[in-house]
Amino acid sequence: MSPDRPKRRPFPWIRTVMAVGVVGASIVLGGQLLEQERRGGESPVTEAGPRVPNAQFPTDTFNGKDVPQPINYSHKLHAGDLGINCLYCHTYARRSKVAGIPPTSKCMGCHTVVATADEKPEIEKLAAMWESGQSPAWNKVNDVPDFVHFSHERHLQKFLFDNPDMNVKDSREVCAMCHGDMVEVTVAKKMRPLTMGFCNTCHENNNGPADCTRCHK
Amino acid sequence: MSSTKIDRRNFLKVLGLGGAGAALAGCDMPSYATLEEGEEQVFSYLAPEEYVIPGIGVWYASTCLQCPAGCGVHGRVREGRALKLEGNPNTAVNRGKLCQMGQAALQTHYNPDRIAKPRIGAKEVTWAQALAFIKAKSTGTPAWLTGAISGHQGVLMDAHLNASGGGKHYGVEIVNAQAWRSACADTIGDAQPDLHIDKARSMVSFGADVLGTWISPVKFMADYGEFRAAPRGVLTVIEPAMTLSGANADHWVAARPGSEAAVALGVANALATEYSVSTSALPTGVADAIFTMTPERVRELSGVDTRTLSRIAGTLMSNSPSLVIGDGSYENAVAAMALNLMLGNIGATITPGADLVPADLAMRDGSTKALANFAKNAQSGDIQAAFISGANPVFTAPDGLNMKDALAKIELKVAIAMFEDETTQFCDVVLPLASPLEDWGTHAPPLGAARGEIHVQQPLMEKLHPEALGLGDILLGLAQDAGAAGLDDFEDYYGYLRTAISAMIGTGQEAAWQDVLQAGKVQAPATQRSFTANGSLTINVPESKAPGKGELILITTARQGLYDGRHANLPWLQEAPDQISKAVWDSWAEIHPTTAARLGLKDGDYVTITSADGALTTRIFLYKGVHPDAIAVPMGQGHTHYGRYASSVGVNPLNLLGADTDARTGEVSNTTTVHVQATGDNRYLVRLMDIDRQYGRKLTATISADQQRRNQSNKQGGA
Amino acid sequence: MPSLLGNIFKGWAHYSKGVEEGGHHDYEHMFAMVIDLDRCTGCNACSTACYAENNLPVVGEDKFGARQAMHWMRVERYFDEPDMDKIAAAEETDTQSRGASFLPMMCQHCNAAPCEPVCPVGATYHTLDGLNAQVYNRCIGSRYCANNCPFRVRYFNFYDTAESWPAPMDQQLNPDLSVRSKGVMEKCTMCIQRTRAARDTAKREGRALIDGDIQTACQQTCPTSAIVFGDLLDETSAVAKIWKRQQVKLGTYKQNKENPDLRGYRIFEELNVDAKVLYLERVREV
Repeated sequence: MSPDRPKRRPFPWIRTVMAVGVVGASIVLGGQLLEQERRGGESPVTEAGPRVPNAQFPTDTFNGKDVPQPINYSHKLHAGDLGINCLYCHTYARRSKVAGIPPTSKCMGCHTVVATADEKPEIEKLAAMWESGQSPAWNKVNDVPDFVHFSHERHLQKFLFDNPDMNVKDSREVCAMCHGDMVEVTVAKKMRPLTMGFCNTCHENNNGPADCTRCHK
Repeated sequence: MSSTKIDRRNFLKVLGLGGAGAALAGCDMPSYATLEEGEEQVFSYLAPEEYVIPGIGVWYASTCLQCPAGCGVHGRVREGRALKLEGNPNTAVNRGKLCQMGQAALQTHYNPDRIAKPRIGAKEVTWAQALAFIKAKSTGTPAWLTGAISGHQGVLMDAHLNASGGGKHYGVEIVNAQAWRSACADTIGDAQPDLHIDKARSMVSFGADVLGTWISPVKFMADYGEFRAAPRGVLTVIEPAMTLSGANADHWVAARPGSEAAVALGVANALATEYSVSTSALPTGVADAIFTMTPERVRELSGVDTRTLSRIAGTLMSNSPSLVIGDGSYENAVAAMALNLMLGNIGATITPGADLVPADLAMRDGSTKALANFAKNAQSGDIQAAFISGANPVFTAPDGLNMKDALAKIELKVAIAMFEDETTQFCDVVLPLASPLEDWGTHAPPLGAARGEIHVQQPLMEKLHPEALGLGDILLGLAQDAGAAGLDDFEDYYGYLRTAISAMIGTGQEAAWQDVLQAGKVQAPATQRSFTANGSLTINVPESKAPGKGELILITTARQGLYDGRHANLPWLQEAPDQISKAVWDSWAEIHPTTAARLGLKDGDYVTITSADGALTTRIFLYKGVHPDAIAVPMGQGHTHYGRYASSVGVNPLNLLGADTDARTGEVSNTTTVHVQATGDNRYLVRLMDIDRQYGRKLTATISADQQRRNQSNKQGGA
Repeated sequence: MPSLLGNIFKGWAHYSKGVEEGGHHDYEHMFAMVIDLDRCTGCNACSTACYAENNLPVVGEDKFGARQAMHWMRVERYFDEPDMDKIAAAEETDTQSRGASFLPMMCQHCNAAPCEPVCPVGATYHTLDGLNAQVYNRCIGSRYCANNCPFRVRYFNFYDTAESWPAPMDQQLNPDLSVRSKGVMEKCTMCIQRTRAARDTAKREGRALIDGDIQTACQQTCPTSAIVFGDLLDETSAVAKIWKRQQVKLGTYKQNKENPDLRGYRIFEELNVDAKVLYLERVREV
């Protein structure tokens, strides 16, 4: 304790380090907890989940928020009550990376005959867009970042078309693996987390590619 | 060592779990990198074609219009946007290949500086107003000033001119092969013979940048690939400053600017005297010129020594069949053809071209003679109304032609352009032109006629600027307005073209039309021409003496990049290093190191180059690929009004040229005498690389052709 | 939360097994290239095609001068010919007596890449197709990889690139690959997006990939066909045939050629990086 040297604590910066550590940990943990609030919970489908033979898929679910759409299309009505196959409208899933939102011509194909613009206000909205040549601006519900390459075609090939125990009419089961059972919702809702962990788990369980560049473009 | 205590209660209150959680969901992640629902939008199609599938590109065939070669392209279109161009593998002209100017056509199309609306003076107007203005002011006969034009656009332009009292078309191209064409016409009776580089064992070019900008560079480069494959061809290039062709030569010879004719005649002389090659196939005047071109005279006129002449002659003799090409001056091209005649290349590597049927679709070449004539006729008041499209005469005309004064004398000037440039500044009306990727058209590529090919151009996507109109549509409208016959049935150019092409393929069937669109071309009948000999032809070899004390000879050349300046507004091409100097985003003047030393200059020094007609200041670039009497400034930069990427970049050497024209062809010379003076400034010229040596590293290695021949005859092979 | 730790333990068994077996290197493909320097004219079409295909930003004069341009494929130009001087020196003339030598240079996708082991976060690795892959999401921008690359073909995004594409130029961007943001390393990927697409097509048609299915942008546009790209593991491919003819083998830096004068060579062979781009020496008549 020499009088010339100022008294110094050992590791004077330790308080800063601990503070940073606490802040960092709370951000990470807080974020995780918040995400888990959205995930988890029972998926509003059949107890057993989608029935896809020869496949093991992750059972995480996600409680998506309500996303407003230009046209209040109801999956419950079309896919549920009317029993229309997913691939009838989302036909590009068979051939392309994207499943695609059906072109307005597909909707008008039925809706110029049944549930026409005179009868239903939402169809009236759609018909007005059709007449004026305007594309509806849908808000994406199931989205992955732009640096992700995801091919619907490959996944459908593996689990549906090349799957010996599956039939095209059961496409709903395959789609439900990542989209949840859409017949339970009216306006589309995100029902699976679609995070990298979600994709990776399924790939590990089903011998999917593990190479970074297969999905990261 | 702060004394404030971190109060735990306060700390957690400020941070909050809610705040932390928000980091994941609501933080400022751009919407394209998000998982979150409701952030991105998707626009579904209305009624797409069957083959349009989102996520999968559709390829459409069209034509590249970045230079007069008119190569066929395939454009990749996804979700209604053109993304990439590749060569059309079905077109015989470019066989699936495309040069960097063609690749950059996307930036011409998507350029942010495109003109969106018509204007009269400084005011934006509607098309109706613009056309009414044009109609009201069109008193005299109109004239069209365009670049090289062909196909049905040419037909409609003629229709407009004829219906308006017989005006003239001035087809202007600074980069052209007029000297070669005149020489071919005068020596073998065919201005556009077919050239077969792939069949040649040696090729000698006197000043023709065959791989860079001459006639159809992608075609020639594709042929060159075959030329170099076994059995390997030898390339010799004689020019004042190295071009892309020269950069690939086995043997490069620097000749004083303007003296290439002397060197060519000197080689012919060597063939006649050393190798006893007969001159009987030559026109008499030419044979005379050869015998008077002694090696001493060659050295006096060009600086090229006897040994070099013998070497070139030897190469030609040992590697048969050969192909000799030449351009720049009429005499030079004639001398090159003389060599072909002497060596028996006619019929081997040079075969007759063909005339397309119908003939009015043929290419109307551009020239600088037309530019000079335009200036002259405008000055004398013979042009009352001018329609300008695909040309920028104020930028490209040598100052000696006084283009601005000439334009001022024209009462009505209408520009049909994609971009504001130096010429549109002088025009009364500016009409927005659709880009080549948005437009219909037919094009007869040079050297395509030999294969009966007419390339079809179709839109790859909807117009970016709805008010822009295609050239064909504008021509059709003007022709209809002027009362041209037979056009009234057509609502638009598409209708006109469809009918015309259906007539050519002999059917209006949808399937046949789809075949044409898929192939990107129409196979048209073509009647082969035949060569005729010329008994007598006099040529006067120019007296290309060394420049006087303190003088150098300025030479301007175009590069396969910025070309004649039309692509200076494309950032990809500005950032693409010049093939020879590797400089970017600027101009430079190439000088030989001994010349620079004599003038007291070092790399990066700014110099002022003054001719009788103008001056410019730019930095120098030293290398040995330029004749010591020459200073070479590539053209392309120096725009004052050409959008954000081109304006105020570099200098324009075209302004320094005088109005001297070639006596035979009427072409404006691309050389002039200049004085060079250092300004005292020096700044590093930005380049891809500062070194031009490998310093012992094996980066690019070279083997001798003899060794390669041994490798190839070796059973083990070797490619 | 549990998944964070669980994966580490689950993956360990898999990883250690791979290490025991000498690394799992059952390559599916071995993509390689041949560039014929005698055919190359130095026209630069390959470089511009790469800009168009791969969303490369244009940086402007100042940044270019600071060596911050992003040309994944660049064409270098040299005027000297060290080997030729042994056989027949260029004539001692004042002016060039032969043309220049052009060298298209891009990532060589070395099998023993010096950039791979030094990445602190494993953002660059060797794929089962033999390509050196760069994962933009993992990259933290240490730039150690670029430091190690002897060919200097790695490019770092020092700046945000949004101003490279003022509207409507951004409509030209290729959606098959990312637009890289600031702080991320990038380089030639041998157009892996085209490989991905070709693979999907082949899978759809129920067949294997064949030579010619995948054409890199540079190869497709090259007017003289100087660039050849393909799979070395496919004996019928053009690339494999040329490598075989030139007697150049992977996995060694001492090529014991029966004919040492064959013109196939790799750049910086002696560094033992096992590059996968074979250059064919330029030929000159003397």
